[in-house]
Amino acid sequence: MKYALLIYENEAFYGTEKAGPKIEEIVSKHMTFAGELGPKRIGGAGLKSTAATTTVRTAGNRKTVHDGPFAEAREQLGGFYLIDVANLDEAIEVAKKVPILQDGAIEIRPLLGE
Amino acid sequence: MNGPALERVFRAASGRIIAALAARFRDLARAEDAFSESCLRAVRIWPLAGVPDDPAAWLYRVAERLVLDSLRRDRKLEQPVTDEASLDPSPEDVVTDDAHIVSDERLRLIFICCHPAVAAEARAALTLKLVCGLSVTEIARAFLLQEATLAQRLVRAKRKIAEAGVPFELPSPEAWPERLDAVLSTLEIAYARAHEDAAGSGAHAGFSAEVLHLTRILMHLVPDDAAVAALAAQVRYAEARRPARLDADGFIVPLSAQDPALWRRDLIDEANRLLADAIRIAPSEPRTLQAQLQQVWCTRRSVEDPAPWPQVLRLYDRLLQSRDDPIVRVNRAVAVAEIEGADAALAELARLDFKALDDFLPYHAVRADLLRRTGNRIEAAAAYSRALRLDPPAAERRWLERKLAELPQS
Repeated sequence: MKYALLIYENEAFYGTEKAGPKIEEIVSKHMTFAGELGPKRIGGAGLKSTAATTTVRTAGNRKTVHDGPFAEAREQLGGFYLIDVANLDEAIEVAKKVPILQDGAIEIRPLLGE
Repeated sequence: MNGPALERVFRAASGRIIAALAARFRDLARAEDAFSESCLRAVRIWPLAGVPDDPAAWLYRVAERLVLDSLRRDRKLEQPVTDEASLDPSPEDVVTDDAHIVSDERLRLIFICCHPAVAAEARAALTLKLVCGLSVTEIARAFLLQEATLAQRLVRAKRKIAEAGVPFELPSPEAWPERLDAVLSTLEIAYARAHEDAAGSGAHAGFSAEVLHLTRILMHLVPDDAAVAALAAQVRYAEARRPARLDADGFIVPLSAQDPALWRRDLIDEANRLLADAIRIAPSEPRTLQAQLQQVWCTRRSVEDPAPWPQVLRLYDRLLQSRDDPIVRVNRAVAVAEIEGADAALAELARLDFKALDDFLPYHAVRADLLRRTGNRIEAAAAYSRALRLDPPAAERRWLERKLAELPQS
């Protein structure tokens, strides 16, 4: 089954530019982790901070463009993996190993059409 | 075979067949639907064609065919199924090989229902529905929930299991601890249903043996766990007292009036050993305390021995320290009445959330007895009547009816 693992952390931890030693540390951990995942990883990316985010909102027939993420929250989506594994237990195993430097959450979402 | 007898057959077969079908086809909802449909067919066909020699095997065969038909209808099967089917055990093997299939498949289904990805409040309910064949009405009553709320939770849980890709394999041992509590609650409720029926003749008659059996398997799977050992001890203490629970006229005998000479010493000895383990591992674990509550009674050798009410009260106090539970408080009130008097116990009950307990039969039965003892005849009668309206099992109904009839007339 294919799953998206959505990584939520407080991005303030990395600074608005998402640059510097902390980001270097987490990126290198993700590189190692992606290597370990091998063919189970079918996609994924780290995301720039919400300061770089633009939202297109549809209301009725109107589409409007806004600065910032669609919802303000204490933790933000900071990156994601797309994985192909046997079942939820395996997805949970993978999610437990996703590198994370602070408190946060990994949301496991099965892809539609599975 | 009459209605209740049929119902007993269906319930006894329910868990095994749904577990076997779910394991084979990896689809809980389909397995459950097919089993229900096979029961409906049995109700129509058996009275005409006669009850088959092995009713469970018949039900399995019909349910299996129904699943295959529905899979074909959904065009989910591109290959003919005959090849795969021939590799599977025959229906007779599946439903009659108790030592192997029953233990593995049913426990596997329990672990699926208790997966941490299933909403915590739905786990035990789902297991009771699928593995033990309890009705939504019965489960709702056990959890003090509205039926509609419970039904909705069950639907959501089944959908979650299917859509999130919860695996149908027995989890690896590292994953057991996080599922264990829900598994134990489930067995506890299943046993409570069996125990309610003191005569052991109702629809849940097979449960007690089943629960004893499942707790034994669990102890093999998860040795050195206090909660598992304590629950295994609890059900053995309770089962040990079964021979003393009814008097010659079929009335239920309260625990404090039971003749210990009738209790089964073999089960009590086994329970004592298990409880000793539990106490050694985790003395304050709630299930350890609950098993001790059973044990203090089982040390009695005759009805002349003093009743252990002070120990009982102390154990309930310790239980409340870990979780303030209204059901524990109702039980504690019985001990309070013995030590401090019925007035003090009634005052305790008055402090509880009446709404949450309104469908809880023991609450009304305990309250009725306390009101009778304080001479409040009218309210006692109302409380007995309320308890009787909650559909008590036969022996308890007769006991409550007698108590109600014995109230002094003004």
